[in-house]
Amino acid sequence: MDILPQLLVNALISGSIYALASSGLSLTYGLLRILNFAHGHLMMVGAYFFFLVSVQLGFGLVASGLLTALFAFVLAALTLRVFILPFSRLSFMLTLVTTLALSNILEALVSMIFGVNVKSLSAGAAAQSIAIYDVYITPIQMLIIGSALVLLGGLAYLIHHTALGRRIRALSENPHAAESLGVSRSVMSYIVYAIGTLLAAYAGILVGYETNMQPTMGSAYTIKAFAAMILGGLGNIWGTIAGSFILGLVENLSIGLDFGGYSIPAGYKDAFAFVIILVVLLFRPQGLFTARRRET
Amino acid sequence: MEYLIHLAILVGIYLILAQSFNVTFGLGGLFNLAHVAVYAIGAYTTALLSTEYSYGPLFCIPASMLLSALFALLIGAISLKLSHDYFAIGSLAFSAVVTAVLINWKSLTRGVLGIPGIPRPDFLGVDYYDNANFLLLVGVLVVVTYVVLWLVFQSSFSRRLRAQAEHPHAAQSLGIDIKRVRNESFMISSLFAGLAGSLFAYYINYIDPSSFGLHEMVFVLSIAIVGRPGSFWGVTFAAVFLVLLPEPLRFIEISPAVLGPMRQLLYALILFAVVWWKRETLFPSQRVV
Repeated sequence: MDILPQLLVNALISGSIYALASSGLSLTYGLLRILNFAHGHLMMVGAYFFFLVSVQLGFGLVASGLLTALFAFVLAALTLRVFILPFSRLSFMLTLVTTLALSNILEALVSMIFGVNVKSLSAGAAAQSIAIYDVYITPIQMLIIGSALVLLGGLAYLIHHTALGRRIRALSENPHAAESLGVSRSVMSYIVYAIGTLLAAYAGILVGYETNMQPTMGSAYTIKAFAAMILGGLGNIWGTIAGSFILGLVENLSIGLDFGGYSIPAGYKDAFAFVIILVVLLFRPQGLFTARRRET
Repeated sequence: MEYLIHLAILVGIYLILAQSFNVTFGLGGLFNLAHVAVYAIGAYTTALLSTEYSYGPLFCIPASMLLSALFALLIGAISLKLSHDYFAIGSLAFSAVVTAVLINWKSLTRGVLGIPGIPRPDFLGVDYYDNANFLLLVGVLVVVTYVVLWLVFQSSFSRRLRAQAEHPHAAQSLGIDIKRVRNESFMISSLFAGLAGSLFAYYINYIDPSSFGLHEMVFVLSIAIVGRPGSFWGVTFAAVFLVLLPEPLRFIEISPAVLGPMRQLLYALILFAVVWWKRETLFPSQRVV
């Protein structure tokens, strides 16, 4: 059996999750020029909240989803108001520090409430693999790929075909001009940041179903999201989404393929994100899909 | 008494670790998230050399320091290509690579199992298994570190380092070789981070990758920020204060599973509170929006 189709499908699955997780990070960077080190933690907290309402409190799937969405909105507004906006116009170092602090606060709180052990959202029958030709895929994984396509398509429509999206693009391209024409930077940042947090929370829930969740997954996904964003160019949303799928592809191909009888141990899968970050930063810091604009 | 000695040893190790971080972060304005990774390299060097190869401290400690400084050259190379927030991600990625190697190179590091049974140093015929004697050794090395770093802080080198942080182009136009200044600052910083790592391995006798995660980096960052970046004595007091701060938690009845996250929460809240109060003055504003 040829393993390549299976690897490609696996790459598509992880790429979908990375794309959902990283698009918010990229949107926020585009608008506020801040790196949110707590982005993966927002995802983790969203997943745990869903776990709390659906498994521990026994709400139905739809009710849990709506409650989690509501919670993600509140979380987004709160963290943006307290941890990011007061600092975003001062030195860039401040938001690096405050979002790092936020990430540790969220991780500590979740560890104290839920414990540090692995938790899982059980998918029941939806986790049974179905064989299509030689490729095994579960309904959950199909949902991951399908919903990522739908949500990212919706995001594309929002950004390129609505008045709201025009304002967001205007602010990222020329904040001064946009603000002088009456586009409110702070209102837009709340909207963009809330969308990003919602997508991240949804990605977190999918990870909870697909594999499992742990308080430390926050840092792991923050770094993955950074890798995807750096591949595509900081603040370039479509570059970031392309970067997410490239990251999924690199991770899955690198550990699945033989290189003349030698294959890379699976434990190194995660290290690829970091190596990609370093290599791209050192040789093409503007990302693969962006013309160099930012003065460094 | 034994408990107080234990605390004093920890304070000593963190004094070295935090003050060396203060060179690049405080003076150099470089958001170096790889400092704890270098500390880990120092700790693992000592752990491996003293268990696998049974070398003594006179070899292990300098070897840890030098190997750490060697890795500093890599971080220096990253810092030259990248500035500001790009360097923060680059250094974070570097430290993540180090952690991934520590976890996955099982034949060398035993992965997440860690390296047990690191012997205490053995020289001059003193019994360092007695913590009071070990404290003496740490104390001497803290004094040596402090004298060297104090001289660094007073030197023209520190003024060059500050100048390139505040305005790289102006500094360059005054004849400051930014590449050299940054590389030297990373070397000095990492030399002592390696020393701290070596002492940590000797003291704890057992190391594993979980001691060198991002939360540890945030702790070191908290010390530097609470003490005010670039302030020699400020960071000293902050190191003593923050290492001792969560100790009273030990005396109330909580399970160890909650204690770890609680310390993490405490440090993150203090870090945030200080940044909140000092946000106008903590870092020189460089960005023109």
